Amino acid sequence: MEFKDYYKILDVDPDADNKTIKTAYRKLARKYHPDVSDHHDAEEKFKEAGEAYEVLKNTKKRAEYDEIREYGSHGQHFQPPPGSQSSGHSGEHYQGNFSDFFSSMFGNSGRDEAQGFRSEYAFNQKGQDIETDMPIFLEDTLSDVSKTISYRLPNRDSNGRITEINKTLNVKIPAGADDGERIRLKGQGAQSIGDGPNGDLYLRIRLVPHPLFDVEAHNLIITTPIAPWEAALGAKIQIPTLSGKINVLIPANSQTGQRLRIKGKGLVRKDGHGDLYAVLKIVMPDTSNDEITQQWEQLAAKAAFDPRAEWSK
Amino acid sequence: MMNDLKHYYFSFEELCDVAELSSHIIIEIVEHGIIEPDGADPENWIFSTQMVTVAKKAYRLHRDLNIDWQGIALTINLLDELEQLKLENKQLRRRLDRFITD
Repeated sequence: MEFKDYYKILDVDPDADNKTIKTAYRKLARKYHPDVSDHHDAEEKFKEAGEAYEVLKNTKKRAEYDEIREYGSHGQHFQPPPGSQSSGHSGEHYQGNFSDFFSSMFGNSGRDEAQGFRSEYAFNQKGQDIETDMPIFLEDTLSDVSKTISYRLPNRDSNGRITEINKTLNVKIPAGADDGERIRLKGQGAQSIGDGPNGDLYLRIRLVPHPLFDVEAHNLIITTPIAPWEAALGAKIQIPTLSGKINVLIPANSQTGQRLRIKGKGLVRKDGHGDLYAVLKIVMPDTSNDEITQQWEQLAAKAAFDPRAEWSK
Repeated sequence: MMNDLKHYYFSFEELCDVAELSSHIIIEIVEHGIIEPDGADPENWIFSTQMVTVAKKAYRLHRDLNIDWQGIALTINLLDELEQLKLENKQLRRRLDRFITD
């Protein structure tokens, strides 16, 4: 098993005093708490810091650890000295997650943290809750939709070993599902270690970015390219919505950035439908020819328009 | 189908079960406005699934970082705001990208 250098983990000197160790731990705990941090290894780093602090804050454990560190830190692999598993239970019902290295020194009950969640250490506690992302296309949020979700969860086989298995479920996603919303599936989380009920599964809705539509609260936005002459003269164009195409009138003398509201074609919310906004973007053709250039020149001469008049004020 | 509508809302007692938190902790969390159930008193409180997640997160932060409830309320507000801003930023960036031609 791998030797863990708790001093290095907390980034303190081996002769650091308790106050320094506490401060170092608190800093790391704040930085890597999985509810706060975006760091991809946040959970791992948070646990590691907790484990290191658990040992180094306690004079007796620290002395034991220092002794082992003397012997064991030279190689990558660490062999626990015989009889060093001082005070362990069998660990059968323990759900903590300190490393094997920690357990080899202090046993599974070496952790003396205050009891947390209700029944955290009880034998018949509920299995672990699982949270997983559920990607949903915008189109799928318009009505109730049935989705298949696959996720991994820890499972205890008949020999009592814990392995990860794949599980697949059919789930009803209600119309109007919103980004970040959670759906709970009772009893679909991990098995209980004792005789307790299964944990629950929480699906966290993630709206998949759409190639055409952007989301703004319960409204949708579609950036709509139009030709300069369509902007000038007005036009009747077809605009895609989440549920098929729709005819829209572009008024004459439209501007880039102008928003046209298409009522009721946005996302579904509990309080009704949002709207779709077509945001106009005037675009130039990629190619031109002499005749067209000539016509633009005529227009330029006739129009007498200074688009930068604001600047010369 | 695995889920149906009645699982979306919880009574006070159900929330304690589902979040595996003791009632006095839930009461602290509600009294600090970290989650705001419908209903005037504990017997009539109704919680959403979202609140289960928030309550558990609040408790983890309280336990792991030694923050008092007032601080948790602030932390959760700021984390929510941060998440909202990040999302908004991402959405605005996407909209901007559609407008810019390099």
